[in-house]
Amino acid sequence: MTQLVPHIFNGLTLGLLFALIALGFTLIVGVMEVINLAHGSLFALGAYFALAIIGGSWLGDTAIGEWWLALPIMPRYILALIVAPILAGLSGMVLELALRRTYGKAPLYGLLLTFGAALVIEELIRLGWGTGEQNLQLPQSISGAILLGGLIYSKYKLFAAGFAVFAIIMVWLFLEKTPYGAIIKAGAHDSEMVRALGYDLARLRLLVFGLGAGLAGLAGVIMVPIWGLRPHVGIDVVIPAFLIIVLGGIGSFWGSVIAAILVGLSVGITGAYAPAWSMMSMYILLILVVGFRARGLFGKKSALEN
Amino acid sequence: MATLSDITRRSSQWITPQIFVFAVFLLSLPLWIRPIGLYQYIGIEIAIWIIFALGFNLLFGYTGLHSFGHGAYLGVGAYAFGLFQLHVGVSLIGGLLAAVFAAALAGAFVACFVSHRRGIYFALMTIAFGQVFWFASIKMHGITGGEDGLLNIPRPDLNLGVYSVSLSGNTALYYLIAVLLIIVTVFTWRAMNSPFGRILQAIRQNETRASFIGYEVWWFKWAAFTLSAMFAGLAGGLFAMAQESAYPDVMSLHQSGLIVMMVLVGGGLVNFWGPILGVILYFIARDVLGSITETWLLWYGLMFVVMVMFKPEGLAGVLAGLSKNSAETLNDLPVKTAEGN
Repeated sequence: MTQLVPHIFNGLTLGLLFALIALGFTLIVGVMEVINLAHGSLFALGAYFALAIIGGSWLGDTAIGEWWLALPIMPRYILALIVAPILAGLSGMVLELALRRTYGKAPLYGLLLTFGAALVIEELIRLGWGTGEQNLQLPQSISGAILLGGLIYSKYKLFAAGFAVFAIIMVWLFLEKTPYGAIIKAGAHDSEMVRALGYDLARLRLLVFGLGAGLAGLAGVIMVPIWGLRPHVGIDVVIPAFLIIVLGGIGSFWGSVIAAILVGLSVGITGAYAPAWSMMSMYILLILVVGFRARGLFGKKSALEN
Repeated sequence: MATLSDITRRSSQWITPQIFVFAVFLLSLPLWIRPIGLYQYIGIEIAIWIIFALGFNLLFGYTGLHSFGHGAYLGVGAYAFGLFQLHVGVSLIGGLLAAVFAAALAGAFVACFVSHRRGIYFALMTIAFGQVFWFASIKMHGITGGEDGLLNIPRPDLNLGVYSVSLSGNTALYYLIAVLLIIVTVFTWRAMNSPFGRILQAIRQNETRASFIGYEVWWFKWAAFTLSAMFAGLAGGLFAMAQESAYPDVMSLHQSGLIVMMVLVGGGLVNFWGPILGVILYFIARDVLGSITETWLLWYGLMFVVMVMFKPEGLAGVLAGLSKNSAETLNDLPVKTAEGN
């Protein structure tokens, strides 16, 4: 049992990171009933933007470029953590403008459009940054290892898990405690009534999609030092995210967080016994749960079922 | 607008003029493919993928069940064909039967789990099962050869009793696949215009109503899924033979997504011939755009996005729009159908 503890801990950390990845996805599905298959590509895009901001080579040999590269890594990293998700969010807004043509049609069309968009974004990344694997530079203070209770942990993983908890709480507070959150939730519940009350539904959807895409970009910046950065990282990300929201139940915020932790734990514990099969355990988990509970753990009825 | 469920003039016909033209096109292809700047192997690829796409559209277009993990059954077929040649015996018929049978078994098993789902949940379950097959093919080194896959699969001869044809040349192999494709085309056309096919279309338009009329909807969805997996398996077996190898890549989500794109771009949602147009367009685009620019997938992806936005009926829908007047006279009975979303 005691040798399982590090695996459980690893699983828990992974689960929190999965929850961070699924956060933006959940938001978009819950409010707009659009399955955004480009989520993973926006994730990758956020990470590549961070790479460009920290690397700064596109500034060239100008005075600004030299000044920027002379700065220590810490301020550059913090700036990347703020600006890269914003850029990813703006890209998401462009996608939402294209997506408008599919509203009112079968959910399949939104799915297909975002699948095409994922392909396009991936190719654009190849065009801009090349196909090789790249590394994000990290500040000294969050890299390296740390000794906790006789076991060695990567400092960065702890930082990332802590950051995931912070982001989950912030999004929850935003949805529950601010007037904007109330409008977004009302829009998910009864969009016609929200429009009748005088709110601009088109702008609301644009903002929600931008926010969701921004969260994808943020997850990208945080996750990529752990998973590595390659152009097709998007597809490795979107499937677990997709799986988690279905497992948790479409439209349920805490459902997806709990599902993410369950998935993380199942991957972590399977990793203890059969490392090669650890990533597959999540699909088995999904088939078992959704096989018996059609709407996942905490799901409500949704237009996506038709 | 033309839909898949328009009743054609003589819907119980086995061979329509279109099928005849298509067969002539296929069988004469080796005569003119080189002069137009292409090569024989692309004909093989296109024919195999059309078999896959026609089978896929039984499920995707006709029944309205959106599978995003169909590459798995193509892969199962390819592995079954390879394993049969390597471990049981070198035989064309045996290998293809093994491919179809293995894919049918895999499809029937998965269909038991997914047939009481619809919409996005159905799509997700098929993705999950597709990923399970993909993972299994990578991890079970002993059987599948891991990431490298099965290599050096022989191309068995076609044995017709006294007469045996070597299929090691691409033209001979092409003729075999073309004949199989014609059979598949006739079969799918007839099946989709049969009472069975009509019930599948009723399920697409309104599943609840179809079950109220008294059809065992679950069973029909199961049958459509299994049938479509069998065609994928046949295509997979032929693919293994053409490539002389079988590898996990064909099972990946990327490949499963590509077949959805091909069927949709061609217009599989509105026309029987849509998947065929889509596959041809994809492979021609790959070769023509691919020779101009390395980022051809970017342009193909953009074209796909624009098509979903403005013309989800696909290429077949565009062509129907161009010849609107003649299309109306083609259908004696333009049945107006309320397409359920």
